[in-house]
Amino acid sequence: MTKNPTETIAKSPGAGVQLEHFSYDNSIVRMFAIATTIWGIAGMLVGLIAAFQLVLPDLGLWDGIGELSFGRIRPLHTNAAIFAFVGNGIFMGVYYSLQRLLKTRMYSDVLSSIHFWGWQLIILSALLTLPLGITTGKEYAELEWPIDIAITLVWVVFGLNMLMTILKRRERHIYVAIWFFLATWVTVAVLHIVNSLEMPVSLFKSYSIYAGVQDALVQWWYGHNAVAFFLTTPYLGLMYYFVPKAANRPVYSYRLSIIHFWALIFIYIWAGPHHLLYTALPDWAQSLGTVFSVMLIAPSWGGMLNGLLTLRGAWDKVRNDPVLKFLVVAVTAYGMATFEGPMLSIKSVNAISHYTDWTIGHVHIGTLGWNGFLTFGILYWLIPRIYNTRLFSTKLANAHFWIGTLGIVMYAVPLYWAGWTQSLMWKEFDGDGFLVYNNFLDTVLQIIPMYWMRAIGGTLYLIGVFMMVYNLIVTTSKGQFVAEEAASAAPLPKNYVSKKGEYWHRWIERRPVQMLVASLVLILIGTFFELAPSFLIKNNVPTIASVQPYTPLELQGRDIYIRAGCYTCHSQMVRPFRSETERYGEYSKAGEFVYEHPFQWGSKRTGPDLHRVGKKYSDSWHYQHMLDPRGISPGSIMPAYPWLYENVLDNSLLPNKIRAMQSLGVPYPEGYDEKAATELQQQAATVVQNLQREGTLDDNQAQYIQDKEIIALIAYLQRLGTDIKAKAEAQ
Amino acid sequence: MKRIPSYIKVMLSLLPAGLAAAGLQAQTADAPAAENPENQLIFLLLISSIVIALACLLLTFAVLVLIRHQVATTAEGAAEGQAVKTSEPLLSWSKIQAALTRAVPVEREADIDMGHDYDGIRELDNQLPPWWKYGFYISIAFAAVYMYIYHWPGHDWSSIKEYEAEMAEAEIIKAKYQEKLAEGVNENSVTLLTDPASLENGKKIFTSLCAACHGMQGEGGIGPNLTDPYWLHGGSIKDVFSTIKYGVPEKGMISWQSQLKPNQMQEVGSYILSLQGTNPPNAKEPQGELYEPNSDQTEENETVGTH
Repeated sequence: MTKNPTETIAKSPGAGVQLEHFSYDNSIVRMFAIATTIWGIAGMLVGLIAAFQLVLPDLGLWDGIGELSFGRIRPLHTNAAIFAFVGNGIFMGVYYSLQRLLKTRMYSDVLSSIHFWGWQLIILSALLTLPLGITTGKEYAELEWPIDIAITLVWVVFGLNMLMTILKRRERHIYVAIWFFLATWVTVAVLHIVNSLEMPVSLFKSYSIYAGVQDALVQWWYGHNAVAFFLTTPYLGLMYYFVPKAANRPVYSYRLSIIHFWALIFIYIWAGPHHLLYTALPDWAQSLGTVFSVMLIAPSWGGMLNGLLTLRGAWDKVRNDPVLKFLVVAVTAYGMATFEGPMLSIKSVNAISHYTDWTIGHVHIGTLGWNGFLTFGILYWLIPRIYNTRLFSTKLANAHFWIGTLGIVMYAVPLYWAGWTQSLMWKEFDGDGFLVYNNFLDTVLQIIPMYWMRAIGGTLYLIGVFMMVYNLIVTTSKGQFVAEEAASAAPLPKNYVSKKGEYWHRWIERRPVQMLVASLVLILIGTFFELAPSFLIKNNVPTIASVQPYTPLELQGRDIYIRAGCYTCHSQMVRPFRSETERYGEYSKAGEFVYEHPFQWGSKRTGPDLHRVGKKYSDSWHYQHMLDPRGISPGSIMPAYPWLYENVLDNSLLPNKIRAMQSLGVPYPEGYDEKAATELQQQAATVVQNLQREGTLDDNQAQYIQDKEIIALIAYLQRLGTDIKAKAEAQ
Repeated sequence: MKRIPSYIKVMLSLLPAGLAAAGLQAQTADAPAAENPENQLIFLLLISSIVIALACLLLTFAVLVLIRHQVATTAEGAAEGQAVKTSEPLLSWSKIQAALTRAVPVEREADIDMGHDYDGIRELDNQLPPWWKYGFYISIAFAAVYMYIYHWPGHDWSSIKEYEAEMAEAEIIKAKYQEKLAEGVNENSVTLLTDPASLENGKKIFTSLCAACHGMQGEGGIGPNLTDPYWLHGGSIKDVFSTIKYGVPEKGMISWQSQLKPNQMQEVGSYILSLQGTNPPNAKEPQGELYEPNSDQTEENETVGTH
């Protein structure tokens, strides 16, 4: 079709306006819709695998296969759910709404296409590398440095395409949805780049440039704001488009939009440290996390209120329209999760909830309820429209709604219960001052039934998604895809005279670049005040003289620990609670982590904390336990790691690793990269001797096992948390 | 028209959550929470978390009931083809909503239409809901007060001090326990128990904590075989008790005195000695020296030799 022909129409008496004809690009919307659905199913399927692995560790489907072990499956699930499912959902909604809100086609079809295929390639690379154990070991940022660079480039392409589209708009003011899109784009860019700074060792291996406490602070500044600016703000933008469209009602309050938008992006960025309460992070930073989380309730609820109150006068439609049902429950789930989040950020509540399944339940209210249901609502609304037809079956969509809702409830409620139960058991003392449940495993066995219910809840939710896919496929087969949707609008006049008495905020709504910069400045304020002091003020991390860098063998073992994703189930952070110091030993100090690139504090204790596991058991115990966890601890749900006993430890990168660590400030002596391999062999021989002396290995076995990965892992585990013990003994 | 509204269904499906929470509350109420300040604190915190959770549920439920009412009246209005009007009971939804949100009624919303039009989306300019606005102010005040109380110069709260206070309380409990301990069994006074109840207790402890290294039947594994007459650190009840209590750290045997009470160590020690001569399958080869019961001389020598 010919682009932009013009004609003259009489819009108002006496004024001739050139009306331009153009078309909206629905192809890119459809591509992202398909990707959203496919990756959504994939991500949820992987989540289901993880859920069943926790109750059936020896099912025979995944045990013994390193690529499928829980520690690698879980990052695959979180990355797929966040960046593949929700990510594509964001782009689908943005590409649909942006064109219509600005009365223009996307700036460049080529950029749209590069964005789409680039993003899918990144997802594919994640799908390949994460099961292979190629990971940075930082939660929700596991992808290695070459992929990080690719993400940055694709994100720039997306931003360029979006910004150029905004600049060539035919609408004078930009709508609140687009404010959220702009803030999302600029903040995610900052978060991703700052958190992903790493020192490459090889193409598939790098170390975070930050260590210990600082790494933790940067990581959770990132992790929390990935939730804020990837799972929340873009979806609020989508809510502001699709809720009023689907309900055919005006947005409830313009001034509420303004206030909650600016308050939300400013306050959100500060709240990250609430993931690190009672850790070795300085107290002042923890408290900032708490108070900013509490201040977040109102700005978050502003979005919920504006969404729900927009439905005033349209509530009767909710009864019949599955789209509105999904949107309403999504917004309600958003309200629940954003109230619960600040409650969990209060230290005394967090002391109970942290490291338990309460957190897992909480985030799934957000992802399954808010992100999932909003995405489904948008798909049900948008697919019939771009196919110029009606939804095949409203009944089936309603059934999807109910089975999905039931799935969420059956997922979340058992996990809340599991979290409370387990936390209580961890903390219970008897009258003589002894831990009642001194065997961690007892507290795990208690909640296995809840894990079963969670797996069933997740299954229900996924069944609902399959119902949707069927419904939508039949819908598309009944309609005709409108790749180019014709539209027309008057061009923007060159000069704009602002109306008298117009709202002050209209000024910045005409200036997208200024809005982008204003958003950037706001999020940088919180970023600066939170991150800078821990880097600039030395006494935030008191040094401990006895803390030494890892030996080469331990360093290699640590990389195996990271590769296996042990941090997905084991924390390395003993909090200063009597119940933890009695169970694990001395609480963790900031100065103990100065050489930890990256930090491995973890966020969930499916198994016990490991920070003080060093020297607690014999080498033989670890040897047998990694080979057959249930042989040592009947009922344990830890996977076995038989491949560690077959794989030869790859030392080819060792000199590179030592040099990388040196350049990050780890004080290995000059020229140590050359000696490292020899020292590694000596220490490995000592470990093997221990195993022989303890009767675990005979001579032949010792010969065989000497150069295997398990030896390095044992050396690492036996070192953990022992440096300050050495100090105590020396005194 | 008389179908159950969707919201009621959602709430019904949420009911199990409330019941679950209540069940847990009942369950914990049975626990001897008052015995220990730590437990008491946790108990209180837990209860308050549950109360918060229940309050959330209740609040959501109340809102949903009101929404349901709104749905019904809107639908009636639509059916009768007239502007939405509610009969005015004592406490009507519209009154509550008006009080909560200060919203301009739907029929007069043209007055506050901003005149914006984005792809057909219009924007109203309703007031900020007062409770929301004041709630926001309160949360900001809370933040200021919180930072003042915890971190203003002169207020030297820290999580480590909190920990030390907690440990100081625990010291009192420990001191009491130490007094009791003086009267309890130790490695010099311990005697072999043979009554079935004690051995049963010992077996439970053994299965939970010892079997990992010594095998479910004491046949040995990472640790030595406990069913043969050969012992690395002596085979009398006093030796076994002592090995359990202090451990042999250099060989991987953990010290259990911080996790097991003396009577428990006596029980598990007695149970271990009851396994003598049971010849379980897959038994590990003998280690250490032959120990002959009733030969006190040997016992003394071995004890000296290994410590």
